[in-house]
Amino acid sequence: MNDSQPLETATTSIQAPSGAPDAKTRRYDRQLRLWAASGQAALESARILVIPATATATSILKNLVLPGLGHFTVMDDKAVTGADAGNNFFLDGSKSIGKSRAEEAVKGLMEMNDGVEGVADVRDIDEVLKNDQGWLKSFNIVVAHNVDSDVLDDLAALLWPETHLVVVNSAGFLAEFSVHYREHQVIESHSETSASLRIDQAFPALLEYAMSLPLDTMDITDHTHIPFPVILVRALEEWRREREQVTGPSSGIGSPRTSAEKKAFKERIRAMMRKFDEENFEEAEAQAFKCWTPTVVPSEVRELFTLYSLSKPSSSTSSSFAALISALSQFVQNNPASPQYTSGLLPLTSSLPDMKSSTEEYVKLQKLYRAQSEKEKQVFKDYLSKRQVDVDDVTIDVFLKNSHALKVLKGREWKDINPGSKELLADKLSTNPKEAAIHLALAAARKLRAQGVLPLLDPTSRPNNTSIKGILDQNNLKDLLTAEVRTFLPPGTELPEADWSIISGEIARAPSADLPTTAAFLGGLVAQEVIKMITKQYIPISAGNAASTANERMGICVIDLVETWTGIL
Amino acid sequence: MADVQENDWEGRYDHIDQILDAPGPRTDEGFMAGDGVKDFLRNQAKILVIGAGGLGCEILANLALTGFKDIHVIDMDTIDISNLNRQFLFRPKDVGKSKAIVAAEFIMNRVPGVLVTPYFGKIQDKDDDYYLQFNLVICGLDSVEARRWINATLVNLVDSENPESLKPLIDGGTEGFKGQARVILPTITSCYECSLDMLNKPTAFPICTIANTPRLPEHCIEWASVLEWPRVHGDKKMDTDNPDDISWLYAVASARAKEFKIEGVTWSLTQGVVKNIIPAIASTNAIIAASCCNEAFKIATSSAAYLNNYFMLIGVEGIYSYTFEHEKKSNCPVCGGESLSLSINREMILEELIELLTERQDIQIKNPSLSAPTKQLYLRAPPQLAEATRPNLLKKVSELIPDGGEVTVTAGTLPFSLSLNISFI
Repeated sequence: MNDSQPLETATTSIQAPSGAPDAKTRRYDRQLRLWAASGQAALESARILVIPATATATSILKNLVLPGLGHFTVMDDKAVTGADAGNNFFLDGSKSIGKSRAEEAVKGLMEMNDGVEGVADVRDIDEVLKNDQGWLKSFNIVVAHNVDSDVLDDLAALLWPETHLVVVNSAGFLAEFSVHYREHQVIESHSETSASLRIDQAFPALLEYAMSLPLDTMDITDHTHIPFPVILVRALEEWRREREQVTGPSSGIGSPRTSAEKKAFKERIRAMMRKFDEENFEEAEAQAFKCWTPTVVPSEVRELFTLYSLSKPSSSTSSSFAALISALSQFVQNNPASPQYTSGLLPLTSSLPDMKSSTEEYVKLQKLYRAQSEKEKQVFKDYLSKRQVDVDDVTIDVFLKNSHALKVLKGREWKDINPGSKELLADKLSTNPKEAAIHLALAAARKLRAQGVLPLLDPTSRPNNTSIKGILDQNNLKDLLTAEVRTFLPPGTELPEADWSIISGEIARAPSADLPTTAAFLGGLVAQEVIKMITKQYIPISAGNAASTANERMGICVIDLVETWTGIL
Repeated sequence: MADVQENDWEGRYDHIDQILDAPGPRTDEGFMAGDGVKDFLRNQAKILVIGAGGLGCEILANLALTGFKDIHVIDMDTIDISNLNRQFLFRPKDVGKSKAIVAAEFIMNRVPGVLVTPYFGKIQDKDDDYYLQFNLVICGLDSVEARRWINATLVNLVDSENPESLKPLIDGGTEGFKGQARVILPTITSCYECSLDMLNKPTAFPICTIANTPRLPEHCIEWASVLEWPRVHGDKKMDTDNPDDISWLYAVASARAKEFKIEGVTWSLTQGVVKNIIPAIASTNAIIAASCCNEAFKIATSSAAYLNNYFMLIGVEGIYSYTFEHEKKSNCPVCGGESLSLSINREMILEELIELLTERQDIQIKNPSLSAPTKQLYLRAPPQLAEATRPNLLKKVSELIPDGGEVTVTAGTLPFSLSLNISFI
């Protein structure tokens, strides 16, 4: 359900005062429920370049044009062949044959959404790489599908790290893709984990309220309406006070630990019931684990404090994020709004889950949480103001609401995974043989294509009157792939025999096939990752957390559409 | 090729033919590489697509490009403006028209030589003979009820004497960044009904919360739609597609929220709650539809091994997918044959048993009728029998049937019956 949370905030801003949404909001309704107006605005201002106009490339673009991408350019200097017209839905069948592939594809794509700007560029990428580098770098994201090795290497080197590059490779039923960025910050991760209610460390107003209720004498109807967080705070405080009498003054923050203690604690909650069917107490019992789940700063968030204290201020966009993290770090070290605890808490959020309660009690509890979270927000804002970076209130609110689920990811440069270090690849072959075999086979195929060894689909590159079938020699191709892959690995590395035979066999069967279904599958997956990158919402694929020193993840998504699985290498 | 059609220009199938001209490392022995398989795919195979919406549009386009030339599509819906963010065969000018018809026309215009036959109506309108004409059925539906119906219908079609009667069913579904695709071989693999308990339980708000103790904006909206609408409008049916009706609900819900100091009622949330809107995007639909069509292609051509039998994708955090074999349930009411054992309290009355059957995640039978081998326990129709059996509702089940007795459960909307074996505790 977390997916739909931002909706309220999302739609109020773009809806007419009468209530009913305008035509654009209605058109995008089903996606606004996922990424809200902020995500939509990001999408609408993004610029994307896609090279060249293959079936896979247009499938990716389709899924970006439909939700309302700002601008796309398709770069392709080739003319439409019969094969293109047969496998690309955005070309106009045989009518497109002989015409510019870029222009025909843009025409087909633009039909779907007149709110999007689409441009065909018929230049040769080689030329552009030499003469128009600034223009290439003007895009937010460049997507390259089955682009030749040498061109791809130059393109990747040029774009790194400002413009994100997405490299997509496919042949027949097999594919892989990777997203190349240095660091990617996500505030709105849409985490399934909700922020802590701080039952174990109740803020003073909540504790005071919970202790003030005359549980035994209050009206029985009111008793059945006490929200579970109040019951838990009360029960825990009573448990702590009793324990203090036995063990002497403690820090006041203990919680039931052993399973016997936990069981007894649940019975204590049951015993607080004044009649047998008080659902709010049943709910409290079911949620009792919140008493012994300590409210802490998640380690992934804590790691960011170190990461950003070490990093030098760089570009302006990341510096506001750095300032937010730095203020958060200071808050965690010292929270004057919760004076009894000196450290270890993230700012309180005011969003409560639903619970058994009356309206009055629920709203009362909401107000308590809201008042405290406002107080803590002020402290946070004071800390932030010392950092001399201008951050607007909306961003601050979103940041604080998500502070328990912040994510900073690291990516890799294309040259680091093309195909990757020999040792890492050898290691991957033993831990993830199928995934590694697909990655290696596609890299080898790319090399062979650049050398002109791999038969191309383009009829102009074939001897007269030969069909692709006529020149495909599967066994020979398998041998060539194997020989090429050996050069990627430390001498003597054993290939996983069965897996390698299957994977190299699949490539040899269909070395240049851009199958409509594989193209559509990739079209969806790649567009999904591009949307996550652009909106900075949800979590794209990565080589791990930016703060982690672990270096074994390559950040490549690998796909086998025979057995139908995806994996991350 | 056996039958070269005029629309098949030079090179048209160069991509696909790399797969069809030669077997690969994971190809079945029965694969007829070359002309044999191409002739079957392009001239003989007949495929049914159920749903021409988010998944359906994608499925139709993929099938057409893959080389299927005789495609049928059923959809009872018309096009709404909110479909246009993903249902890419539709344009603003098509709003209000039949999805099946517009989609079929678009595909036939774009992909020459493909025949798409639309049916603007319900799957329940069609009989067994209709379904028997297809080699394969692909579902892109958003309704559990429709999926259960087609699943049960295809399982019932299977005649062990006639291998042609077994119609593979490929089912896709999406929600936001998540989705799943699965291959069902009726009576052989697990069926849709076998996995009913995997569905998320829909959020239901207790009526007393709505009436007396609203806490969330959703509670205020439910109050407006469930209680206030019938009170104010009497028999007039609410049309959740009519913006005026949503505006009315929004106004009423807002007033109630204000009274109770609840924040967060918006027009959009109102619409989302009353229509039970599920977020939907083009990219997820593309992934799942591609997966469905890829399986259809592999099954129809035997060109490569196919999914066994469930592919699940979650794209919220990175790309997580899980491919597994969902197990057939021996007591599945559709494909299992064994009856479901149910232990109930000796004091439970029939009405409570019915409530249990409605709510249990693996059963979910709405408005069931129940009978024992020798007597009717409770029937909803015809009216005379409903009248005659109604008093049983308040009787204890243990007074109506013996310990270990059989009870047969039927529901008008589903073409199967569930057999229960009831014991008392």
